[in-house]
Amino acid sequence: MRYTRRAITILTLTTLALTGCSVEKDGGDGGTDASAQCGSGKEFLIGMSQANNAEPYRQVMNDDVSTAAKAVSGFKVVVSDAAQDNSKQVADVENFLSQGINLLIISPNEAKPLTAVVKKAYDKGIPVIVLDRKVEGDAYTAFIGGDNVAIGKAAGEYYAKTLLPQGGKVVEISGLPGSTPAAERAQGFREGIASNPKIEIVATQTAEWLREKGQSVMDAMLKAQPDIDAVYAHNDPMAEGAYLAAKAAGKESAIKFTGIDALPVPSGGIKAVEQGRLQATFQYATGGREAIDLAKKILVDCSKDVPKSTTLGTTQITKDNAAQVYTELGGKQ
Amino acid sequence: MNPPNPTTVAASPPETPPRRGAIRLPKDRHAIVDNFFRFQSLFGLVAVFVIAIAVSPSRNGENVFLSSGNLANIVRAVSEIGIIAVGMTFVILIGGIDLSVGAVLGLAAVGSATLMVDSGLGIVPTVLIVLFIGTAFGATQGAIVARLGIQSFIVTLAGLQAARGIARMWSGGLGIPIAYGDGPQEAPEAFSLLSGSINGMLPVPALIFLAIGVGALLVLRSTAFARHVYAIGGNEKAARLSGVPVRRVRVTVFAISGLLAALAGIIHAGQLNQGSPNDGAGYELDAIAAVVIGGTSLAGGSGSMGGTIAGALLLGILNNILALNNIDANVQLVVKGLVIVAAAALQRLRPRIA
Repeated sequence: MRYTRRAITILTLTTLALTGCSVEKDGGDGGTDASAQCGSGKEFLIGMSQANNAEPYRQVMNDDVSTAAKAVSGFKVVVSDAAQDNSKQVADVENFLSQGINLLIISPNEAKPLTAVVKKAYDKGIPVIVLDRKVEGDAYTAFIGGDNVAIGKAAGEYYAKTLLPQGGKVVEISGLPGSTPAAERAQGFREGIASNPKIEIVATQTAEWLREKGQSVMDAMLKAQPDIDAVYAHNDPMAEGAYLAAKAAGKESAIKFTGIDALPVPSGGIKAVEQGRLQATFQYATGGREAIDLAKKILVDCSKDVPKSTTLGTTQITKDNAAQVYTELGGKQ
Repeated sequence: MNPPNPTTVAASPPETPPRRGAIRLPKDRHAIVDNFFRFQSLFGLVAVFVIAIAVSPSRNGENVFLSSGNLANIVRAVSEIGIIAVGMTFVILIGGIDLSVGAVLGLAAVGSATLMVDSGLGIVPTVLIVLFIGTAFGATQGAIVARLGIQSFIVTLAGLQAARGIARMWSGGLGIPIAYGDGPQEAPEAFSLLSGSINGMLPVPALIFLAIGVGALLVLRSTAFARHVYAIGGNEKAARLSGVPVRRVRVTVFAISGLLAALAGIIHAGQLNQGSPNDGAGYELDAIAAVVIGGTSLAGGSGSMGGTIAGALLLGILNNILALNNIDANVQLVVKGLVIVAAAALQRLRPRIA
């Protein structure tokens, strides 16, 4: 097998020789691309780099950005989809830079891998607005995101005061273990129900954000826990899944269901509240409109003074305001 | 640039009737037409390049596609898939397939991050260990294919799951960020050069890809090993009967594929400053696409390394020019599918030389 060994040796040596080469690190290669002068009556190209279009929440975020941008004359938005691939998202941003965008809006797939390319854009003088998930460091213009602890807390307070004022047994269906939103929505909820000690969380199970898992988890819990009063799900699809399981067991009218996210789409939580399957849901805003508002301040109004971090509030949606909020958020009928 | 002729080692394949749809030509025109088909991906590459220049948006009078920054982005973006595709070419040439490469890439990325950040190893031991893991993983798959006679599709499908599982266990399921510096929990600064470029022009990963590609091209053109690879793919039984060490070649080929997937994983970790166990999902399919566009037959026995390199670059240019024109990502997928089918259809039309 001399030849085989030789072949492998050649390949390995080439590899090692190359990894040892002396090279320079990529810097922001000259501030050649400083964004076009700001001011009204000009054309601006905005790149929107999305982590994954396949999630309804992110689809709504894109829609919010596009819709809001249409209302600003001179704004043109191009959207790219990284399909959950960090490498693809880096390439997407690089392509935007080649195209000469005037402003970058990015919802990063993960923080660490996207930090370098966001910094590259920022160092070129391009304003960068980061949505929903952060990047590391502070090489960006502004961050806009929701506050999952506050949302969980709002849900908890709703349980304590409105849904179960007399107390009761609650099961929690949580998001993906290890994910920040799941941990924060759990923590906030506990803070919210603290004022009503008669509310008891009797079980917590994960359904990994998924509707079908919400259903199977609820199936099991219905058998283990005979008298459940309410289900607190970390998102709307899991709440809907749990509702289906309860319905199959004939218990859907005895149990109250709530979710989080409240997406203004036909399959979203607002419609589920309007149609009576969920008691309430709490909006996790996309920040898309707010991002375009900021972009307008930076590009059109030439404002240098934009907030580095914006925390979005939540809206509680119940049957009373569901139809109205759906229309306000631009939901399609 | 003639690939070695398998018939020098193995007996000719049994007589088969001409394929349906193959062009029939008078003998003297065979050479020209055959060369066109042999280098179809090179022609395809040139064609796509020219089209890309033509349809590229321009900015301040400059062609965006041709700007040096953009060309560097293209070669950087294809380098990982390209390196994997080089290994995949060997595997497909012997009539096999390696579905595990994307998962091995993820495993190698996790390994690079863990060994440097958590175990505090230097770059050289880290790279050596990770490359060894990839090679051993590939060789094991090759040994199972060769010894137990299970189809490589199944063995590497199992390998894909196993590598993904090991990567998740090793990393605890989460991406391991790589911070640079001399302190504890920090990787050597030099590792970040993997995301750098030479004179700000040629990205390091692209250079590694080109070096590996040229190396593999030379190996495939002039070594006894290459003749054995072609012979096994052409007709395994005949190859065995004429003394080709079929099993050992098999194991070697899968080991090379594992080695190169691990190399791509190291580069991946260096580019993204993170080793994530879920990265590299679907890369095996992009690599197979590059090989197929390069004119290598999935049945084994015919194809070239130059074709694969051209195929990888073609896919990269295609992705880039569609993105520069803001074509919807879903349309990009469809276009990619059409190109793969077109490349395979062209191979089907290729006239057979007696």
